[in-house]
Amino acid sequence: MSLKHDIEFTLNGVKRRVQVDVTMNALAMLRDVIGLTGTKYGCGEGECGACTIQVDGVSLNSCLMFAVDCDGREVTTIEGLANDPQADALRDAFVEHGAVQCGFCTPGMVMQADHILHKHEHPDEGCVKRGLEGNLCRCTGYKKIVDAVVACGATEK
Amino acid sequence: MTELKHYYAPTSLDQAVECLKDGDVTILAGGTDLTPQSQAGRIKFKHTLMNIRHIPQLSGITLEGDEIRIGALATITEIMEHPLVKQHLPVLVEACDHFASDQIRNAGTIGGNICNASPAGDTLIPLLVLDARVELASMPEDKLYRHSMPLSTFFVGPGKTRKSLCELVTGVRIPVPAANHVARFYKLGTRPALDISTISIGVAGCLNGGVLSQVRVAFGAVAPTPVRAEQTEQALEGKPLDAATIEKAAAIARDEVHPIDDVRASAWYRKEMIHNITKRILGHVAQA
Amino acid sequence: MNTVAEKKHRVIEPDSLIGKRIRKMDAPEKASGRTRYIHDINLSGQLHGKILRSARIHALIKSIDTSAARALPGVHVVITAADIPDQRPIGVAKDHFPLKVGRVRSQRDEIAAVAAESEEIAEAALKLIKVEYEDLPVIGDPEDAIKPGAVLIHPEPHGADGTHMHLKQGMSIAHKGKPDNIAMRFDYSHGDVVKGEAESDVVIEDTFKLHYVTHCCMGVSGMIAEFDASGNVLMYSNTQVPFLHKREFAEYLNIDPARIRIIQPPIGGGFGSKLDIYPFEVICLYLARAAKRPVKMLFTREEEFLASPTRQPVLLTLRSGCKKDGTLTFRQVHTLHDNGAYTSWGATTPFVMMQTFSSLYRVPHCDYHTAAVYTNNPYAGSFRGYGNLQATFAIEQHMDMLAQSIGMDPLEFRMKNAQDAGEVTGQGMSFKSCGFKDCIRTAAQRSDFSHKFGENQANQKAPGTVKRGIGMASMLHVGGGAKIYPSDGCGTILKMDDFANVTLITGASEIGQGSETVLSQLVCEELGLPISAVTVVNNDTAITPWDVGVHASRTTFIAGNSAIGAAKKAKAKILAVAAKKFEIAEDYLDLRGGFVIKADSGEAVIELSKLLRNLHFQDKAELVMTTFYYEPPSVHQDKGFKGDVSAAYAWGTQVVEVEVDTETGIVKLIKVTGAHDVGRVLNRLGIEGQIEGGVVMGQGYAFTEDLMIENGRMKNPNFRDYKLVTAPEIPEMDIAFIESMDGEGPQGAKGVGEAPAICMAAAAANAIANATGVRLFELPFTPEKVYRALHGKTPKLYWKPWKAE
Ligand SMILES: Cc1cc2nc3c(=O)[nH]c(=O)nc-3n(C[C@H](O)[C@H](O)[C@H](O)COP(=O)(O)OP(=O)(O)OC[C@H]3O[C@@H](n4cnc5c(N)ncnc54)[C@H](O)[C@@H]3O)c2cc1C
Ligand code: FES
Ligand code: FES
Repeated sequence: MSLKHDIEFTLNGVKRRVQVDVTMNALAMLRDVIGLTGTKYGCGEGECGACTIQVDGVSLNSCLMFAVDCDGREVTTIEGLANDPQADALRDAFVEHGAVQCGFCTPGMVMQADHILHKHEHPDEGCVKRGLEGNLCRCTGYKKIVDAVVACGATEK
Repeated sequence: MTELKHYYAPTSLDQAVECLKDGDVTILAGGTDLTPQSQAGRIKFKHTLMNIRHIPQLSGITLEGDEIRIGALATITEIMEHPLVKQHLPVLVEACDHFASDQIRNAGTIGGNICNASPAGDTLIPLLVLDARVELASMPEDKLYRHSMPLSTFFVGPGKTRKSLCELVTGVRIPVPAANHVARFYKLGTRPALDISTISIGVAGCLNGGVLSQVRVAFGAVAPTPVRAEQTEQALEGKPLDAATIEKAAAIARDEVHPIDDVRASAWYRKEMIHNITKRILGHVAQA
Repeated sequence: MNTVAEKKHRVIEPDSLIGKRIRKMDAPEKASGRTRYIHDINLSGQLHGKILRSARIHALIKSIDTSAARALPGVHVVITAADIPDQRPIGVAKDHFPLKVGRVRSQRDEIAAVAAESEEIAEAALKLIKVEYEDLPVIGDPEDAIKPGAVLIHPEPHGADGTHMHLKQGMSIAHKGKPDNIAMRFDYSHGDVVKGEAESDVVIEDTFKLHYVTHCCMGVSGMIAEFDASGNVLMYSNTQVPFLHKREFAEYLNIDPARIRIIQPPIGGGFGSKLDIYPFEVICLYLARAAKRPVKMLFTREEEFLASPTRQPVLLTLRSGCKKDGTLTFRQVHTLHDNGAYTSWGATTPFVMMQTFSSLYRVPHCDYHTAAVYTNNPYAGSFRGYGNLQATFAIEQHMDMLAQSIGMDPLEFRMKNAQDAGEVTGQGMSFKSCGFKDCIRTAAQRSDFSHKFGENQANQKAPGTVKRGIGMASMLHVGGGAKIYPSDGCGTILKMDDFANVTLITGASEIGQGSETVLSQLVCEELGLPISAVTVVNNDTAITPWDVGVHASRTTFIAGNSAIGAAKKAKAKILAVAAKKFEIAEDYLDLRGGFVIKADSGEAVIELSKLLRNLHFQDKAELVMTTFYYEPPSVHQDKGFKGDVSAAYAWGTQVVEVEVDTETGIVKLIKVTGAHDVGRVLNRLGIEGQIEGGVVMGQGYAFTEDLMIENGRMKNPNFRDYKLVTAPEIPEMDIAFIESMDGEGPQGAKGVGEAPAICMAAAAANAIANATGVRLFELPFTPEKVYRALHGKTPKLYWKPWKAE
C-alpha cells in the first residue's frame, strides 16, 4: 500500500534504523513504530506543542515533521532527557513549583523549556513566556510553568 | 492524481532540478505547511516526494554586492537571529518575531513561506516592502537555469504562484536599504505570535526631512494574495508626513482593500483596521 | 543502631502538613514522560475503532451501505444501528441511541463504526460507507426552536399510514419523541417579585448572550474495551464517575453491573467533560463485543471539538432592582438554553444558575425560569462552573449598573448586600461559614480598587487611545458537594503495612486536580506520617470503594472527610494497642513523626512501624485495615428547588484590570486580584495551581474562546481558530486565600475546584465599562466585538422574556 522508506538516525543517543511510511509524521513514528509514548499528540497541527522534540539541538513539533526527514539527524525525546543533569534540574523545578497538573502537556513543556534554557543563559519571565507560546496547557494557567523555568534558569550554570 | 511512488532526498541543486523536470513532484522543506496539509487531505502528493533539506545551495544568509541573499532553506529562527538581517532588515526580524511559535520558527523556512503563498504569510509583507526578488532554478534542457522575479509579481492566488511545476525556489534577494530607509511591520492579533494575521501591514520608504519617498505599502490577509497598495503609496509619495497626509493615506488604504468575511474577522473590521493601523504606523514613521 | 530505649526518650516536635506547599505525588512521573495515559496503553490483539459521523446536520437516513467497508482487508467489524437491535437510549434524558436510528440531528451524530487492524484501515473503511440522506430543515437558533410550528427535533413517531402512534408513557424520548422542542424547564421563585419591584427605586432590564465554548482537554477522549472469555467487561476509561457509569454501561450491554470493571488511567484533563456517557463509549463496547477483541478508540483533535460536550450557551434576560439606599429588592430571570440535539448535563445547569440568582447577595424576591430547547447544534454537557459563569456574568454586571444608577460606589453597594455567616437564603442555602465580605474587602484592598475605579472613570473621555479599566465580580458556589444523586458520599479503605506505609484506597478519582496529594496529606496529618508513606489507589472499580464521582468541587471535601474518617479509625486502633502494650491510657497517646508519642511531652513511645510489626507477628495477628464512608449532612432540594444542597459554600471575589485599545478593540488583561474563601488552605501549591488555572480558563471564556456554530455546523474545530489562552497572554495574578475554617470541612477546607473561572467574564465586562463607559452584553470580548461596541455598531440585545408553558 503505502510507500515505505528506511531511515537511520540517532534517537536519544542511540543509533537506530527503522522503516517508516513516507507520509507518516515523526510523532506517529515515535509513538506507534518505536513505542516511545512520552511525546504526546494534542492536535497534530503544530498548535499545541505536546509533541515537542529536539532535532539537531533545536525544538520542533514532531507532528509537523515527516518521519523520513529524521534520516541522518539527532533526535531527542522526553525519554532521552532522562540522563541529562540539566534536564533533571528542570524536571525537579516543574515538580517543586507545581507546574504539573494533569501532566499531558508536561513532556512537551519540558522539551521546549529545555531548549529555552540552552538558548538563553538566564531567561526572564517575558522570554520564557514567549518561548512557551507554542505549548498549550489547559490546567495550570502557565504561571507555575513559567516560574519553574525562570527559577531553573536562575540557579543553573 | 498519481499515488506517491518515490521518496528522494537530493544533495545538490542539479539533482533537485533534474528530478523536477517532469513536474510531478511534491517539494518538502521544513514541512510545517506540508505535513498538516497532506495529513488533512487538503493536498494530494504527487508522484515523488522530494526533500530539499540536504541541498547546500539553498541555505545560508549572505551579503552579495548590494543585496542580501537569504537561502530558501533559511529558517525563520535563523533569519531573525542573523547579524546581517538584524543590521539591515530589522523589519523582517520584526515580522519573524510575530511568526508562529518557537518550534515552528525553528522548522519553517522562508522558501516554504513564499511557496505556500498564503495571503497571511508573515514574511511576505516585509519582503514586499523591501523590494525582494525570488530566485528560481530549473532544468529546461540539460542545464541548470536560474532567474529571478520581483516578489510583487510572484503571487497569483491563495497557494498559487507564478513558479512552474518544474521550478525550485532557491532563495530571495533583498537590496540593502539606504541609510535613511525606514520600515515598519504590524500584525493585528491578541497574541504576540502563533496567530494567523487578521490583517498585517508593512510600510517602508526613505525619509528625508519629514518627506517620504520610494514608498512601499503592503497588506496581508485582505486579498487572495499579499498585496502592494499602490494608491496608498501614491498618496504618500513625496509628501511630508503630516497629519493630513496620513489621514488621507489611511482613508485611501481602507478603500483600496477588498477583504472578505471569515472566522477571524469581518471584511468591515478588516477595512477599519487597515485604516486605523496604517494611520498608527505612519505616525510612528513620521516620528522616526 | 537505634534501640527502643533511646527512642523512647526522643521528643518529637509537633509538625503539620496543612497549608504547606506539597509536591504533587504524580508529578515526577509526569514530568519525565513516563505516565501512561489511555493513549499510551496498547493491549495485545487490540483493534482500532473509528466512528462515521453525519455529513448532514438534520436529515433522515434513507440507506446505509457498508458492504465495501466490510470487504476491506483488515476490517473486522462494521456496525450500524441495524446491527445492534438491543441498543438502549443513552444520555441524561435518554433521548438518543449511540448509533443513530433513521435520523441524524447534528453534525456529530454517529452513523456507523468500524474496528480494524489499524487506525488507517479503520479510516479508509469509513470512507467506503455510503449513506443516503434526505435533508430536513435545520434549527440553528434556539429562538427558532420555540416558534409556533417549528420543526421538531424529536418528533413523535407516526405509523406507516401517518397516524400518531401514541406510545406508552414510560418510554424514553428516543422512542416516543416529544411534541415540542422543550428539553427541560426550570421554574423557581421565592418572595414576590411584583412586591419587590414595587419597592424598588430603580429597575433595570438587560439581555445577555453567552456563547459556546468547550473543554479542550489536552488529552483527547478515548477508551479501550475488552470482553473476557466469560463475557466480563474490562474498560479503560477516563470517566469521572466510574461507579454510576458501571451500572449504566451494564444496562446498555444488558448484563449484570457486577461484570463490568472500569480502570481509569491518568487523565489528560477533565473539567467536567467526562461526567456523562457519550455515544463513542458505548459504540466502543459494541465493537469489542462483536469483534471479540480489545478495541481502542481515540479521537482526533478535530473529532474532540466536534463530538465533545460544550458549555451551555445561554440567552438571558435579567430584570433587577434596588432601593436608593442600596438595598437589592428583586431579580427576575428568564433564560433560553440551547440544549443542542440531545440532552446531557448542560441542560441541568439551571440547578446552579438559580442558586446564584437567588443567593449571590441578599435577594428578597427572586423569580427564575429556564427553558432548555432542542436545536440541531452540538449538545452541551457539564463544564467547570456549571452555569455559574453565565449567571454571574449577568448578575455582576447588573450590580455595577444598579450602583451606578443610584450613584453609589460599586464596592459599597456590594458590601451592603453581601451575606454573613449564619444567614439562610430564600432558596434555603445555609451559610455556616462565610467569607464573602472578607473576599470583597481583600480583593478590593489588594488591587486598590476604589482609587483606580474613580481614576479610570475620570479618564474615559480624556485623549489617548488606550484606556485602563478595573472591574469586580464575586461568586458563590457549592463547596461541600451537592446532593443531586440519592447519595453524595465516598468510601475509603485504609491499610497499613509492616513499615507503617499506608495504602489509601479511595473511590475518588484523580483528574489532574491533585486530589491524591490532598487526601494523602489529610491521612498523614491524622497518622503523623510523612507524605511519602502513602500510596493512593483510586483507579479501579474492582478495588476501590464507592464514590459518586468527581464533580461539583466535591472531592477534597467529601473524599477528604472520608479519608480522615478512615485514618481516625486506624489511629484509634493503633493507640488502643499501644495503650495496652505500654500501659498508658489511650488519651495520653498520639501519633507523630512515625512514632507513637506521649501527647503532652511529645516523648516517643515506640516507632509506629515496629508496633505494627508486633501486631502482625502474633498468634492472633491484627491487621490495621479500616473502612469509612462519609455522607455529607446536606439535603435534597424539594420540588420547588429549595434546600441546603451542599454541606458548605465557597465564595470568591476577583478584580480584573484591563487595557482597552480603542483603535483596535484589543483588550489586554493586565492583572487579576483574587480573594477566595477556601475554608482552609490544605496544599498551598495545589490550590494556587487550581486558582491560576481557573483564572486563565475564565480569561479564555471572556476573551478568546469561541466555538462558532453556524446553522449547526462548527466553523472552527481546531486550535488555530478556537483560541486557548497562551503563556504570553496571561495576566499578573495576585491570589489571596480567606480561611473561614468550615466546621464540617476536612481540616476546615471547602471545595474550590470550579470557583476561579466563574467571575472572570463578569469582572472583565465591568472593567471594560470602567475603561470606556461602554457595556458589553455578549461574550466573548474579541477585538472585533469590542471595537464594534465602542463605535456604536452593536445593536442593543433584547430577548423578550419567555416562559415555557
Ligand atoms: C501552527 C502553525 C502556525 C503558523 N503560523 C504562521 C505564521 O504566524 N505566519 C506565517 O507566515 N506562517 C505560519 N505558518 C505557516 C508555515 O509555518 C510557514 O508558511 C512556513 O514558512 C512554511 O515553511 P516550511 O519550510 O515548513 O514549508 P513546507 O511545509 O516544507 O512547504 C510549504 C510549501 O512550499 C513548497 N516549497 C517549500 N520550499 C520550496 C522551495 N524551495 N521551492 C519550491 N517550493 C517549495 C512546498 O512544496 C509546500 O507546498 C504556520 C503553520 C502552522 C502549522
Ligand atoms: S500535536 Fe504537535 S503541536 Fe499539537
Ligand atoms: S497540566 Fe494539564 S494540560 Fe498542562
